Parts: sequence; structure tokens; C-alpha cells
Amino acid sequence: MSQTRTPLLKVSGLVQEYVTRGAGGQKAGVVHAVSDVSFELHEGETLGIVGETGSGKSTLARAIIQVERPRSGSVQFQGRELTTMSRRELVSVHRDMQMVYQDPFGSLNPRWRIEDVVAEPLRGHTDMTRAERVARVAELLDLVGLDPARYRDRRPMELSGGQAQRVAIARAIALNPKLIICDEAISSLDVLIQAQVLNLFEKLRDELGVAYLFIAHDLATVKQVSDRVAVMHLGQLAEFSPADELYAHPRHPYTRALLDSVPVLDVVTGAVRRPRPLQGEPPSPLHPPSGCRFRTRCPIAQDVCATVEPALRDTGDGQFASCHFPLGVDAARLAPATAA
Amino acid sequence: MAVADTTTRALLSPTIGVERSIRWARIRKRLVIGVPAAIVVLLFAACFVGPYVLPLPAPIGGDVLNSSRPPGTPGHPLGTDVNGNDVLSRLLHGGQASLIVAVAVNAIGLIVGGLIGALSAYLGGKADTIIMRALDVLIAFPSLVLTIAIAQVLGPSLPNTILALSAFSIPGVARVARSSTLRVTSMPFVQAAALGGSPWWRTLLFHIAPNVLPQLLNFAMLGMGIVIVTEGALSFLGLGIPAPAPSWGNMIYEGQQSLSATPLLVLWPSLALLLAVLSFNLLGENVRDEMSGR
Amino acid sequence: MTTVDAFPSDTVTRTDGEPPVVLRVDDLRVTFTRGGREIHAVNGLSYTVRRGRMLAIIGESGSGKSVSVRALMGLLPPSAVVEGSALLGDEQLVGRTDRAMRAIRGRDVSMVFQDPARSLNPTMSVGAQIVEAVRAHRPLPKREAAARAVELLKLVRLSAPERRFHEYPHQLSGGMRQRVMIAIALAADPKVLIADEATTALDVTTQAQIMELLVDLQERLGTAIIMISHDLGLAASYADEVLVMYAGRAVEHAPTSTLFGNVRMPYTAALLGAIPQLTTPSHARLTVIGGHPPDLGALPEGCAFRERCPRATERCIERPPLEEHEPAHAYACWHPVDQRAGDVLGPLTETGDVKEEAR
Repeated sequence: MSQTRTPLLKVSGLVQEYVTRGAGGQKAGVVHAVSDVSFELHEGETLGIVGETGSGKSTLARAIIQVERPRSGSVQFQGRELTTMSRRELVSVHRDMQMVYQDPFGSLNPRWRIEDVVAEPLRGHTDMTRAERVARVAELLDLVGLDPARYRDRRPMELSGGQAQRVAIARAIALNPKLIICDEAISSLDVLIQAQVLNLFEKLRDELGVAYLFIAHDLATVKQVSDRVAVMHLGQLAEFSPADELYAHPRHPYTRALLDSVPVLDVVTGAVRRPRPLQGEPPSPLHPPSGCRFRTRCPIAQDVCATVEPALRDTGDGQFASCHFPLGVDAARLAPATAA
Repeated sequence: MAVADTTTRALLSPTIGVERSIRWARIRKRLVIGVPAAIVVLLFAACFVGPYVLPLPAPIGGDVLNSSRPPGTPGHPLGTDVNGNDVLSRLLHGGQASLIVAVAVNAIGLIVGGLIGALSAYLGGKADTIIMRALDVLIAFPSLVLTIAIAQVLGPSLPNTILALSAFSIPGVARVARSSTLRVTSMPFVQAAALGGSPWWRTLLFHIAPNVLPQLLNFAMLGMGIVIVTEGALSFLGLGIPAPAPSWGNMIYEGQQSLSATPLLVLWPSLALLLAVLSFNLLGENVRDEMSGR
Repeated sequence: MTTVDAFPSDTVTRTDGEPPVVLRVDDLRVTFTRGGREIHAVNGLSYTVRRGRMLAIIGESGSGKSVSVRALMGLLPPSAVVEGSALLGDEQLVGRTDRAMRAIRGRDVSMVFQDPARSLNPTMSVGAQIVEAVRAHRPLPKREAAARAVELLKLVRLSAPERRFHEYPHQLSGGMRQRVMIAIALAADPKVLIADEATTALDVTTQAQIMELLVDLQERLGTAIIMISHDLGLAASYADEVLVMYAGRAVEHAPTSTLFGNVRMPYTAALLGAIPQLTTPSHARLTVIGGHPPDLGALPEGCAFRERCPRATERCIERPPLEEHEPAHAYACWHPVDQRAGDVLGPLTETGDVKEEAR
């Protein structure tokens, strides 16, 4: 999927670290939350980021949107470098980059009316008159499947989780952004409601051409909404592949392990493939293993994995993996490190 | 991923239909705010309007020959004290002093303490630590001792009492304001507001303040009761409102001196104190619950 | 309002070679009173659980699945009214006093909860908490109880059990904490273990490990397990029987081998269609059912799923009873799905309905 145009979002060598303090306040250790992550996202594309606890995916989202400044690395959005922008300059960026959060109720001010919640970005970024705002809010609520007449005057505490998340989405698309970052946006919703909201994302993608950075821990969900998927492990990109390829030919052993950990149910025949669990405990982000961070649990780890950290390499067919022995590929034939 | 929690929440969520029991619950809610509010209003009316409306003698300058009259004496519904002053008049005028102090101290505490706490939370880092440790020192001091010390230095008078008690009230409010502000600013909707282009003052005014205020107000209401009692203690010790001007506190002080002979002289101001404190406390708790939409 | 037992009774079973029944639930009903209204959280639930078997109770929030098992454990608030019968061996669980329940809880039936961070005491070492659980039902001297605790830690496959004994919950990962919870639950060797969304909050790799552990323990100790979840995939992989709940009732009940591939209840079909599978192609639309579960305090007449069901007709105003329409497969529907006749459950390629339906 090579593009000749400038990518919408270009992340290079992003690093985020947190310092943990001991009892006396002195520096006790460093959590390597995000370690040298690079990727590109193009207009209208959905990039899924999947990872477990401690993978750094949420930290990555915050570092991209500049809510927390990354320790180092670059984030270019529409060709502009975000990490060096002042807060004031960033405001103009937010017209085109919005976020939907995990907790639908936490992301809406409990005391505001829905009307005001959705209109807020319109106030902050445009000169629309009150009447224009009201009309736009009605349009947006309709777009997310909420009847404006019934919902505009309500407050978040009167809504269900699914409805509140729709409101959050309406607010996110208010300015017709180019990119929406969904940080576990459906994890706290009921199963059937998740499906509704997922379909809504797809619909908005079709109608508005918006790009998504879809962050979640459920591989099946991420794979379904995404064009390409990035698998994160302990702050690093383990694999980066087109969605269908990820499932058909995973390159990284960790991806394989994730795929194996999930039951696969064929709804038509009723056949089920039981999970094959990955043994071992996930390593602590405070003391990641030397070399490849996955080696302590990797079924095919070798000596070199402890000494040399594998870089993200092109393994063909648009798939990238950071592994010395990517699955299904003859390692000797691969070129050395490249960016995704 | 809080599946089980939503079930419980569903079980506890408000009803859709209106039935008798729900109406009753609503009435009860209104009563629990309405009654203390009414009492508070009554107290203020009695103390600030009463003396100009009722035919009462002055609270000071009474005739010693008229002293220690029992309640029911014509012209003195609650009797007179050892100095010949009308008890009811002293009670109402004293209420003015006590209530003014309470309101002033809490207003100052709310504004100054609120600002300090919010600022501390906003600044974060070293500034936050310094401010908080300073407040910790103030809080750690036995509050009464501190207040007495200040009052001693300044001398007894109404303004000085307000000052001394403010020093006592500000650190507590600052703490609550700080933790409340920290909690609210970490919520995603504040972040979302920033993404929505909301300038910092708008975020502060419309997002942070409305969610911090309920807790602060509640704390302030509870503070009303505490301040009234502390003022009472100060005056009791002769450091607050200087005699012969009345306050509930120094009325108790004087009454205590002749407790065995005329116990009622202590009873009236104590009752007034009790009523005020109870009402403020009830009001504070229930207003907070209302405001946070429980 | 009577429901039919889906499976043969105890006496018949024995001659069939099936393991004995350890728990028999009959017409369980739980009602709460909130603000003057009656909330019917569970409306007539019946099932049996056999030794060494796993029953998965599947439903969304508000289905009553958690409430029903908490009723068995006596963990509901005093305002809850529990009716019906739940026989654990010879012991009747419904209507027990709290003191009587405490004797049984942990000893005969125990529970593992969703969030191990909140279920473990952060100020006590892991070992101390297990010892407490052991001694709650057996007056062992501390030394022996500690030895048993270490044994239990080994049983749940926690590495370096002697060291873990002294560690505190915050030093352990989510998966390890959940193993500790399981160790505590098994301390007195109960007949039935209830896992209430026990793996929902865990990472997927850890979830697989814990489920494997549970199955292993089941085989080794013969414990019967009731798994409460919303995940039909998990149920398909591990459970022997599946019971689907909606609005406080069982709406479909069948052994795993019979249920999948031949789903009958439109609700179960909806659940299956709504879950993205790894096999679902990228950007496919999911089968979506609009609306949301009914208010348990104002249940509609007839079938509770009627207002959302794409197959509902006039007839559904009369509530369909749960009946064993096929051997060992019970469901409550007048218009069941027929997979064998070609009814499709899987993802659609057209846009599913995204509108919020009227309340």
C-alpha cells in the first residue's frame, strides 16, 4: 500500500517514558512506555493498534495528540510537526484531529446539555452563529443515529453507555476532522451495542472519508474495522500488516500467540477452535528483557534474540515485523531494517 | 469493561414511570432541603430584621436593678441577664454577630481557599508541593490554639475575629479545592474540551468550576457550623466579640458564670447555636447531593 | 409460569452413566424493590449442574446472570426477595440465613469475581488471605494451613509459590491475582465454583491461560463450574452446556455440541452475528439489533425480546415458554431461527441499522 502523497499522519521514532519514584522521592526506575515507534497513516485509512496491558497503545495515542509531549521522536500531521508546536498552534490542528475516549461518561461533562456538548468544538473553532450551530448539532445527532428533538436537551447522566458514546462521536465529527483517534472507544459497551457503534464508525468512514486510529485490545474487532493493523508489545511495534494478511499469515510470533489465544467460532457450522494459551507472564515495563522484548515467552526464541534487538523489517506483501525469525519467511532473504 | 457494574447501575437507576412512592421520595427530598433552608432563613430574618421590627430594648446598657428576671416578665419575653440586659435582644443581636462572622469567614475561606487550592492543582510540580506543605503546617497546628494566638495578637473585635477564623478555615478549603480540581482536570471531558478549542478560561469557568463547586459548597456549609462554634469558643474565652456586645459565644461565657442560679441564660444561646449548626450541616449535605445529581 | 427442566432427572441420569447432579436450580426468581417499583431481575430460572461439568450462563448486562448466581451465594442486598429452589446436594440455598450461608459459602460453593484488584485485600499478603480462606472452614493450625496455602498456589500454577505466599496483591499481575482468587475459592474444595466474568478484565493471552487452568482443575478435582460471561466464543470453547439469558429468563439452553451451528433463539443469533470473529473479513458490517434491553421494572408483555426481534409477529405478545423442542435443546420462541434451512447469522455486507430505536 505505498502512497506517493504525503501521509496524513507520520510518526517517526516516537519515544515516551515515565519516571517512577521510590519511597523517598528519588528516581527508582523508568517505564519504557513507547519505544521507537514509527508508522504512516493515509487519508481515509483506518489503522488499528492492538495490544495488551502495558503495550503502550494508549500512551501512544496521548503522545500523538500531544496531550503529553513525547520524550523524543516526531509526529507530523498534514505535513506539520506537532511535537514542537505551542499549545496555541495545536488548537488549529485539533480542527482536523479529534479523539473518542473509552469512558463515554467521563468524556462528557455531566452537567452540560447534549446540545452544548456537541456544539462545543463549533464554538471553539468556528464563527458559526447560534442558529447555525443548532442546525449543525441536529445534523450531527442525526448522523450518529440519535433523534435531535429527543436528545438535545438531555444530560449525559440520563443516557445509556451506547447513547453517550454516540454523543461523544457526534462531537468528534462536528468539525469534519480528517483523523479520529478512538482509544478503546467501544470496550466498555455491551456486546450488541458495540456492534452498533462499530457499524456507525464504518458508516462515517464511507460518508465522510475520515481516517481512524483505532486502538483496542480485542484483535478481532480491530482487524475488522482496519485496513492495516499494528500489533504493539511492551512499547514496540511487533508487527504491522494489512488486516486480512495479519490473520492469514501472521509474521511475528506474538501476533501468532494473540491469534491463538482467542476462540474462533464458525457461526455457520458451530465448529470452534479452542485457544492455545501462551505460557509465561508478561514482562514488566520497568525491566524489559534485553534484545527482543518478547523472547521470554516466545516459542521460537534463540540466543541472538537476547543480544540483538530486532528492528522492524519489510517481510514482503506489505507486512512488517520486528523479529529475527519472522514466521513463514526465510529470514536470510530479508533486507535489513526499514520504516513502515 | 465494567459489565457487572452496569447491571447494578441498571438496578439502581431512576424509574421511568411516576408512582406514588416516587412522588413521596421527591417530597422527602424537598423537605430535607426545604426545612433546614427555611430554618436558616428564619434565623437570619430573626437576627437581622427582628430587632428593628420587634419592640425590644437595646442589648446593652441595661439596668442592674433589672437583672435576672425570669422569662415571661412583661417587656422581657426571655427575661434578663445578670446585667439587666434583655435576653431576647441580646440573643438576636448576638446572632447578628455570630452569623456575620460565620458567613464572612466562610466566604473568605471559599474564595481565597478555593483559589489557592485550584491554583496549586493547576500549577502542579514544585509550586504545588510548596503550597501544600505550607497548608499542611497550618492544618497541623491545633486550630483553636492558632486562632487564639492570632486573636490575642490582634485584640478582640469583630473584624479581627473574622481574620483569625479565616486563617483557620482557608487551609481546609484549599485542600478540598485542590483534590477536587485534580480529579476534575484528569477527566477526559476536560481534555476533550481542549481538543474542542475551548480557551483555558472557558474550560475553567464552564467545565472545572461547576464540577468542583458542589463539593466546595458542601465543605463551606459544614464550615459554617464549625466557625460559629469556634467563634463561640473565642468569645467564651474573651477573645472574640468584646463584651458588652453580645454574641452567642460570649453569652454562653457569661451565662456559664451563674450556671447554677440561672441555667436558662446558657440554654438560649446554646439552643440557637445548635439550631444554626444543624441546619447548615443538613443544608450543606443535601445541596451537594442535589448538585451532583444523585 | 412453570418452566420445564431441560435435562433428565437425577435418578434417570445415574443409569445413563452421567455424573451426578451437584446443583439443581428450580424456578429461581429474584425481585428487588426500588423506588416503589418491583424489578424482576430473575424470572424463573432452572438448570442442573453436574459434577466435573461446566455450565456457561451467557447474557448481556441486565440479563440477570450475575444476580442469579449471587442469589445462590446469598450475596444479594437484604432488599432482594429470592424465591424458588436451589439444591446443593441436600442443602437448600434459597431462604438461608446469612449465618447459615456463611457455613456453605466457600465450603460447598464458592465464587471468583471479575476484578481481582478489588477482590483481594491490598494490605494482606497473598498467603495470609489464602490461609484465612482455608481456616474459615477447617480449624487447622497455622502451620498446616500455610502448607495447604502453598499447595493451592502450586495447584493454580503460580510460579515460585513459596515466594508468592509472602507477596502482596499489588506485586502481582492481573493474571496472577486471578489465580490467587481461584486458589482462595478452592481452599475448601467446593463442589461448585462460580466464575462471574472472571476473565473479562484480563488480557486475552492471560484469559486463555486462566480458562485452561479452570478446565484442568475441573478434571483434577471434579469441581463443577458455572461460568458467567457475555462471550459466546469462550462458552463454545470450554463449556459443556450453554444457557442464554435475556431479561431475567433462560431463552435458550443446550449442550455446546448441539447449540452452535444450530442456534434457535433470534437473540442468540443476534449475539453471534454481532461479535467480530477473526474470520470476519475486514470492513464487513455486523448484524446489528437496534434498541437495548428492556427495563426490568417494566417488562413488556409476552416475549421480552419482541420489540427488537426481526422475526417478531403478533403471536409474540403471548410469551413463548422455554421448552425442549428438540432433544436436549430448549428454547423459548415461536419463530426460531433455522440455520440448517439457510438462515444466516453472520455479518451482512449491507449497512446494518445504526439508528437508535425508540425507547
